[in-house]
Amino acid sequence: MIGIVDYGLGNLTSVAGAVLKLGYEPVITCDADELARADKLILPGVGAFPDGMANLAERGLIDVLNDLVIKRRKPILGICLGFQLLGKSSEEFRDTPGLGWIDAAVTRLKPDDASLRVPHVGWNDLTQTRPDCILFDGIADGALFYFVHSYRMETPPDGAQVGSCDYGGPFTAAVQKGSVFGTQFHPEKSQQAGLTLLGNFLEKA
Amino acid sequence: MLRNRLITVLTFNDGTLFRTKLFEPDYRYTHNFVDSWSVDEIVMLDVTRDPSADKTAFYEVVTQFAKECFVPLAVGGGIRTLDDARRMMAVGGDKVVVNSGAVERPELITEIAEAYGSQCVVLSIDARKSETLDGGYEAFSHFATRATGKTPGEWAREGEALGAGEIMITSVERDGSLQGYDLELCRQVSDAVSLPVLGMAGAGNWKHFVEGVEKGGLSAVCTQNIYHFTETSIASAKKFMEKKGIPVRL
Repeated sequence: MIGIVDYGLGNLTSVAGAVLKLGYEPVITCDADELARADKLILPGVGAFPDGMANLAERGLIDVLNDLVIKRRKPILGICLGFQLLGKSSEEFRDTPGLGWIDAAVTRLKPDDASLRVPHVGWNDLTQTRPDCILFDGIADGALFYFVHSYRMETPPDGAQVGSCDYGGPFTAAVQKGSVFGTQFHPEKSQQAGLTLLGNFLEKA
Repeated sequence: MLRNRLITVLTFNDGTLFRTKLFEPDYRYTHNFVDSWSVDEIVMLDVTRDPSADKTAFYEVVTQFAKECFVPLAVGGGIRTLDDARRMMAVGGDKVVVNSGAVERPELITEIAEAYGSQCVVLSIDARKSETLDGGYEAFSHFATRATGKTPGEWAREGEALGAGEIMITSVERDGSLQGYDLELCRQVSDAVSLPVLGMAGAGNWKHFVEGVEKGGLSAVCTQNIYHFTETSIASAKKFMEKKGIPVRL
């Protein structure tokens, strides 16, 4: 069973649909016992960072997730906002601390080319900076994934970055540190490459 | 490099797919297909005119469609409140499209953006030619029957300030015409905002997609009717665009 963390934000239905398509049983929940029973966790989310952290806190999920992921090493995949929440802080609206599992801050996307529009919306190339990461099994370097975001994670200093993307400057598009995985793009909305990546997490993480 | 998107727009009346011409339903070509493996994004709009009509049939269609849709899905039609938007997200939408609801109550854009983020809100603007407004176009709402008194550029800029993440601009006169996008209209809107702009109405051949990007400044080109008339696949449209130097996902 795959626990999809429900903290009141985002396209949970789409994530659950992709998990189901891959032959796994998704459960959308914020219940601590149910999350503890899950083999793996997905932290999805579209929305704003401060709301994301506030909603996690309101449901008592920060302690639950710290216990399950950090202490008990349950694999987790953060997607989009869920990925950014893995970082140590974000400057979206106001400085807000994140879960802090990945040692990098989230800052405003500022393309060096003024003609590039923000948010960064659409299909862009993913460069595998650590091609040996299990997420990338069977996926070509430079494969296209669907992005939609206005903030981006800076490069973690400890090599946790496994993939990067370029939009008027490079940014961290995928991370892995132990059993913590994250992607700025939406694997559940990136067709075959996305389903393969999600399948790799579900099968191999 | 970020690719320009090709988006398919599907319009529904009481849960039935149909095409439109000059904003009137035309059911002759409902035998449609959606090649969801090469299209970059899909928009599903409920254009049932009766505002009190039961939306169950539409929600059901979206739910079924979303199950096998692994590209972004934007859903809209008749959204007036945050709860309406929530419902559209719950049945499988990744984004919502607002139009008349935002004209009636512009703070609707902010409410949805605060709940789901700006990237979740597509502001759809229907425009007609105008002889009185600067720039020669006026934004309309309520199935293009009600004038707003604003130019599409003004309304788009206002929408951006309120928290919209993308603008979708539709030319009423070009709807169903297959004569190409109204490039002047597209350009006015794409110049007015720093958001991605989606152009809609008029695409009749692959060249129109290229013009939309190059001359209209569009980030994404939308089509509704073109697939009803041709059997040519989306993939071949994209190959054509790539040959003309437009970055697309093949």
